[in-house]
Amino acid sequence: MTAPADPIPVRLTDVVKRYGRRTVLDGVSLEVAPGITGLVGPNGAGKSTLVRAILGLVRLAGGEARVFGHDPYRHPRRVREAVGVVPEDECSVPGLSGVEMVRYAARLSGLPATEALRRAHEVLDWCDAGQERYRPVETLSVGTRQKISFAAAIVHDPAMIILDEPTNGLDPIERRAMLGRLTTLARNHGKTIFVSTHVLPDVQAICDRVIVLARGRVQLAGSIADLTRPARPEHHLTGSGPLDQLAAALTADGLPASVTVSETGPLIELASPRPDQLGAIWSAARRAGVAIRSLAPASRPLEEVFVETLRRADQPADGMAGSVSLAPFGGID
Amino acid sequence: MPLHDVGYRAWNSRRCGPSATVWVIALTGIRLAWESRWLRRLVFFAWSPALIFAASFFAFEQAVDEGRLTALGEGAQVGRNLDGVGMLGTVLADALGGNPNEVDIESTRRLVWTRLLLAFMRSPQAILLAAVVGLVAPTLISRDLRAKAWLVYFTRPVGRTEYVLGKSVILLLLVLVITMLPAVALWLMGVLVSPSISVAFETWDLPVRVVIASLVLAVPTVLLALAYSSLTAESRIASFAWFATWVACWIAHGALTTADFVVSMREQQAAEMENAERPLPAYRRATEPPTPFRGQFRWLARAAGIDARLDRWAWISPYHALGAVQAAIFGIDRRPAAWMPATATLLVMTFGSLLILAWRVTAPAKA
Repeated sequence: MTAPADPIPVRLTDVVKRYGRRTVLDGVSLEVAPGITGLVGPNGAGKSTLVRAILGLVRLAGGEARVFGHDPYRHPRRVREAVGVVPEDECSVPGLSGVEMVRYAARLSGLPATEALRRAHEVLDWCDAGQERYRPVETLSVGTRQKISFAAAIVHDPAMIILDEPTNGLDPIERRAMLGRLTTLARNHGKTIFVSTHVLPDVQAICDRVIVLARGRVQLAGSIADLTRPARPEHHLTGSGPLDQLAAALTADGLPASVTVSETGPLIELASPRPDQLGAIWSAARRAGVAIRSLAPASRPLEEVFVETLRRADQPADGMAGSVSLAPFGGID
Repeated sequence: MPLHDVGYRAWNSRRCGPSATVWVIALTGIRLAWESRWLRRLVFFAWSPALIFAASFFAFEQAVDEGRLTALGEGAQVGRNLDGVGMLGTVLADALGGNPNEVDIESTRRLVWTRLLLAFMRSPQAILLAAVVGLVAPTLISRDLRAKAWLVYFTRPVGRTEYVLGKSVILLLLVLVITMLPAVALWLMGVLVSPSISVAFETWDLPVRVVIASLVLAVPTVLLALAYSSLTAESRIASFAWFATWVACWIAHGALTTADFVVSMREQQAAEMENAERPLPAYRRATEPPTPFRGQFRWLARAAGIDARLDRWAWISPYHALGAVQAAIFGIDRRPAAWMPATATLLVMTFGSLLILAWRVTAPAKA
């Protein structure tokens, strides 16, 4: 792994990219800090162009990009040695088997022949690729091809991994396993993960931070915890039994509560209790005959934040479209 | 967790440089190309002309060894088939001119070997090269475009230069295997069947000329084929363009030279009728009337570069342009009017192809 020259893996400052007359990135400024960062946005928001700018594949019309301190367009080799990419499009060299594909990727990334083969098998084992690795890539299922693509991206031990729709085509079990691998790489191996996806629950499940890109601009950026925190502090209580009686009892005890129905079933929304009020909640539950299953701080679904952000970005009247001001990255959490 | 699963490990060793990347791309490409049964057949078949030319070398050296070179020369002049294939007779008759009685063995050997090697590289190998390159090259870049394999390269520390070099080396190695290697092997065989090992020192420059001529043959053609491949995601179209270029240019060259020949013949006839000694332009002047034997093998002599008349249309066809430059490299025809226009054609082919490759190879990433 190349020693990063900058502790912040990616810094983009006022990046502008145009294709002809169309401005795809319009003054994008962002930082991708170590950890897992999600990049979300509607189709045509400029996500793929942003990834290409980070890899130095496109020349910028304005602004500055730095990846581990290097200009990716001028020094693409240094940048790409430190970055692994899982593209959204299925890409493979026809005729190569899964393990040959990963080995080829390792060799192209500069690993010696023997080491490339050894690491190819290691990462394929880690990705649960099984014996399918010996079949030609073009004959594999979408899920296995995704594993091969992921293995090829991490085989050279990059400091940063960029993934474009990494859970596309995966069944729920494989999807969970993929998210688990990403979390392991970030938490246990110190990798910076940058995930571009449409699947907001995936982002909420694994990401530390999220960037919402729309109309070629960063509309929202911040930590998931901060962005999904409700306007007023609340807790959600789930359990079995007469929840309405418990809500009434809690309200009577000075802890305003109400029953609501969520996607997972009925629950009680209550104002965040102080630590000394927790005992009263358990007592009230016992009296009402409710078995408490969980009591946790409430959070807004990321989807709600996303939709709200896009709606604000689409408001053209006040001239504020696309200029939602947020605290810079790293300053929120 | 299986015993062999060691989890994800860090890797901090030293990386290989860009030259290793070129070889990785080249060797992987060759391995994939070699899976084609047709390519294997074609490469093996491409060595068969060398056996025929080996017979010519053997027949010549056998005649030298047995002191029959004068008789061989006389046989060549009357059009006798000396080696079973007719090549040696054509070459020897041309090399000895009209005087087989005063034969200097060393200079004759050099001339005969040179002509045989040039003929070998021009007629069978240049045509087989077109077939081998036409089989392999069209898929090399177009398949990457179609399967989006360019992402495999350009999201990794692989530059445009390494990519194009790697793909070129695939073709260069295949081309050199069917042109340079058999030609050098022919020279080596000639040395082995010659009466003395000193022949190797007398003709040391021939393998060097073979290497240079092979590179001149390989570089422009390989780059042109890759440029066609980079222009489309459909390898069939690239393949068609490649063969169409060779065939169409050959036909154009044939039509133009035939037209010249017809005009020349008419002018000669008119001149004879008028009994006038009006000199013809140099390019319309035949050096000498062909002997019956040489007339019979005229097409072969022309394709093999034995016919020394100035080919003013060579520049129009890659095949003939390559032949003109190779003839200059072998020292057979050093007239600037013969090789300079052809060299210009090859340079235009080479740099034009490089420009197309530079533009097209990373185009999908920028779109």
